[in-house]
Amino acid sequence: MNNRWRARRLASAALLVAAMAQAQDARQIVEEAQKRSESASQRYEGILQVIGAENRIATKRWVFERLGSFGRSKALLRFTAPPEVKGVALLIMNHPDRASDQWMWRPAIGREQRIALQDRSTRFFGTDFSFEDLEERDVNQFDYKLLPDEGGQWKIESRPRKPSQYSYSYLWIDKSKYTIRKAEMYNKSGLVRVIDYRDFAQVRGIWTARTTEVLDVKRKSRTILKFDKLEYDIPLKEDLFTVEALRRES
Amino acid sequence: MILLRLISWPYARKHLLRILLTIAGIVLGVGVFVGMHTANQSVLAAFRSTIDRIAGQTQLQISAGEPGFDEDVLDRVQNVPEVRAAAPVIEATVSTDKGNVLILGVDMLGDRNLRSYDLEGADESIDDPLVFLAQPDSLIVTKTFAAARDLRINSRIPMRTMDGDRVFVVRGIMKPGGLASAFGGNIAIMDIYAAQKIFGRGRKFDRIDVALRDGVTLDEGIAELRAAVGPGFQIEPPSSRGPEFEATSRIYELGSNITSVFALFIGMFIIYNTFAIAVTQRRAEIGILRALGATRGQIRTLFLSESAMTGIAGTLAGIGFGVLMARVMTGYIGGLLEEVYGVAQSAAAIEVAPWIVGAAIAMGLITSLIAGLIPARAAAMVDPVKALQKGSYLSPGEGENRSRRKWAMACAVLSILALMLNRYTPVFYGGYLLAVMAAVLLAPSLSLQVSRWLRPVLKGIRPVEGGLAADSLIQGPRRTSGTVAALMLSLALVISLGGLARSSYRSISEWMRIALNPDLFVTTAESATARSFVFPASLAAGLRGIEGVAEVQLVRSVRVLVKNVPVMLVATDIESLARRARLPAIEGDGDQMYRRAAAGEGVIVSENYARLHGARYGETIEIPAPEGTLRLPVAGIVRDFSDQQGSILLSRDVFIRYWHDDAVNIFRIYLKPGASEAAVRQRILDAYGTRRRLFVLTNGDLRNYVMRITDQWFGLTYIQIAVAVLVAVLGIVNALTVSIIDRRRELGVLRAVGGMRRQIRHTVWMEAIGIGAIGLVLGLALGAAQLYYTIEIARRDLIGIDIGYAYPFTMALALVPVILSAAYLAALAPGESAVRGSLVEALEYE
Repeated sequence: MNNRWRARRLASAALLVAAMAQAQDARQIVEEAQKRSESASQRYEGILQVIGAENRIATKRWVFERLGSFGRSKALLRFTAPPEVKGVALLIMNHPDRASDQWMWRPAIGREQRIALQDRSTRFFGTDFSFEDLEERDVNQFDYKLLPDEGGQWKIESRPRKPSQYSYSYLWIDKSKYTIRKAEMYNKSGLVRVIDYRDFAQVRGIWTARTTEVLDVKRKSRTILKFDKLEYDIPLKEDLFTVEALRRES
Repeated sequence: MILLRLISWPYARKHLLRILLTIAGIVLGVGVFVGMHTANQSVLAAFRSTIDRIAGQTQLQISAGEPGFDEDVLDRVQNVPEVRAAAPVIEATVSTDKGNVLILGVDMLGDRNLRSYDLEGADESIDDPLVFLAQPDSLIVTKTFAAARDLRINSRIPMRTMDGDRVFVVRGIMKPGGLASAFGGNIAIMDIYAAQKIFGRGRKFDRIDVALRDGVTLDEGIAELRAAVGPGFQIEPPSSRGPEFEATSRIYELGSNITSVFALFIGMFIIYNTFAIAVTQRRAEIGILRALGATRGQIRTLFLSESAMTGIAGTLAGIGFGVLMARVMTGYIGGLLEEVYGVAQSAAAIEVAPWIVGAAIAMGLITSLIAGLIPARAAAMVDPVKALQKGSYLSPGEGENRSRRKWAMACAVLSILALMLNRYTPVFYGGYLLAVMAAVLLAPSLSLQVSRWLRPVLKGIRPVEGGLAADSLIQGPRRTSGTVAALMLSLALVISLGGLARSSYRSISEWMRIALNPDLFVTTAESATARSFVFPASLAAGLRGIEGVAEVQLVRSVRVLVKNVPVMLVATDIESLARRARLPAIEGDGDQMYRRAAAGEGVIVSENYARLHGARYGETIEIPAPEGTLRLPVAGIVRDFSDQQGSILLSRDVFIRYWHDDAVNIFRIYLKPGASEAAVRQRILDAYGTRRRLFVLTNGDLRNYVMRITDQWFGLTYIQIAVAVLVAVLGIVNALTVSIIDRRRELGVLRAVGGMRRQIRHTVWMEAIGIGAIGLVLGLALGAAQLYYTIEIARRDLIGIDIGYAYPFTMALALVPVILSAAYLAALAPGESAVRGSLVEALEYE
């Protein structure tokens, strides 16, 4: 009786340890993916195509610059084309322990506007990204769970610890390169967005997707972002990433 | 029921014209009541629906009156955990060639959480949201607006802004429905930060629309938001908006209620008159019924039932007439909203509320039953034996007249007593009713007396016909007294309304002479009352530098809520105002009040503010402001017509401190002696007219504008006067028709003994003119008393201003030919009827 009882307890403990190990694994995988993509700074020229439900395509260009990474980074996104939108900029200050601060700059009006936290779920200037999708959140801001592999990739469930428009997401991570290949975002009503990462290439040793495609499930519209002139670890001045610089540089 | 079918119905069919004329008063009374209330309710319902459409999912709105508040309040609101979404809004009206448009400045990022912009064409809500945000000239218009102006995506709309003339580009067209159907589609959406620039609002918002998180009650939300923003803000559901419109429409409602009650009162006399004569005419029939065993109760019930049926028929027709009237009046009342909200509100549907129908039926029925009570009692009292004898029973006994006079005296004494205690509203209105009752009760005696005075006059004009006409008036007072009473009431109403208008114009002219004495007014709109655009205070220095300008007064007038009532706050340089345009004090010391107000130690309130809001001299007024609650004592009370709901004059420095707002609505400009008004005006336009939105009105322009607004306000009064005159004419037609029918035998005898047709015609005409003259004498006299009460009602309950008593002599004189001509015209058909009928039938009548 005692032996059987002891065996049961051991089995339970083993299961618990295994589950803990699995959770640890999921977190470690994401941590490793984050680590491998880390860089001191980043710069690229983005080509953005929004393909509406009626296949109407709107194309825009922007320049993206980031200083620091994951949770402590600052990023500046400035539209360069078409002429009507040139100079419109978005400044993002990421924080390790909370949601980012974001400011929008509109040169024609000559003033910045803070993007309220409650507005982060809205679409980013008519694209299929939301303002929240542009944040770089640290690995510690989520809880992870490893799910059965799919297509030779890890499938990980990620649940935000801080307020978010999403209830949870699924991430598909390449087992060899530790790159995120696909993400599905869900809210209380179900699937909201699907992001596909493709055209991977190594830039300064970092596997980087050169094309990102976002699908807005409800609206059935897609946004394709292509990365051009991608650079890592370039020298960028800290004072470029301030609200004052937004005004100055416009 | 059997009696109704066998006796009343054949009688009614035989006297259809008389019945129709009888119910006309009820139709008008009920019609005015139903029309006015239905129009008001329909416009109000449309306005509320508009507010709901604009509000979208907004549960609470945070505002601080028209001046708005600083942007940082938005951060405080968005940081409240109970808030799900908070979006700032700026509202402004802009005039276009096809009417005014409400421009809603919104933050397109956050606003989608509250409002849905269902746009044409693409799946995208705006053709390109980034371009919309990037370009401050972006505008979303409604399909209705676009269709009316033939606009498409990327169409251009020129607009004069505070930055000068600008061209806006249509970057989205909203589908009809929801938000797009607010104000009949006269609504456009603009980015809020672009709107701040265009309307010169600085970094301010008009309001913040808030949606709460699930599970948070409105009370909890209000409490948390109150703690976050402070006491100087209004936090209320969108449905609470519109007290201003309700206050505006209330004045019309009360005014039309008085007209309606008068019309019903007049209708009551017409019914009474008709039934009193019918009882006399049908006394043989009553006698037969009584002889056959009908009880007095049955006879009384029969006549009361007839009266009730008349009332119901009149009420039903009145409701129909009211609905027609409402269709016309909604446009008028909707236009009034433009004064308040900037954009006209049209009622999508005219719906008569059940309570209006219920009240109309009750009014019509009660009026007709009261009117039929005395004739029914008289019918029940008919002696069957005497009833079967032929003869005249029209003269009321002297005892009856004496009794009426006693009652009249009692009513008059009580009404005078009520005047002494008139600070109690029910006592005042009771006294008013008693005064009218006294006049009505005295009407038969007075009309008899005036008939006697008229006899020599009529005889002097035509000895035979005049004498016969005068005798008919003297011998048949029961036949004429009801008509005279109706005519008297109608004319009294006309005089009171006309007097009210005359007194108002006189007072407003006097106020304009003192208060609106600058030579020029620099405004942001053609109309001096539009407040969507504002000037920066810095413009004052430029204006002062213009050759010929002696002094510039900066005026900021904004509407704020005080005790949840919209009140006009006028902030200006009080010292300069006291020097240039000092209004006489009604309460308080003239010098001291301006000195204290200039020093920021008090406010000067208008007489109507004090009266309508119960403010007393010396009492402290609390005005919520973004900086906190402003508490200042009433340093004085003046007569000021600036705003219907009252105005509060305060120092500009105090206003800037509490509202953080140094903008200006109007610059009042005084010229140097000898400077030419036209030349200085042109210099101002040359200096600024092309660079910014700016209008220069001369003193004459502004006075004309004020008079136009006043005319608009009195527009309904003129309709009421027309209704009263119409009722008066109807009364005469009714009386004469009834009189001729009643006197067929008498007129037949006249013809039989050699009376010529011409003479009979003249007799009827002179009798009609006689009735008109008696009605005129009594009506113009009662009008003097009625005018006193009307002015008092206006002072106490409508506008809160003592406009002074001014009897409308011109109108009274104009009424003489109008009524006498109407009487003559009304007599033409009955006169012809009197001479055309068969002599044999006439002699056999009765």
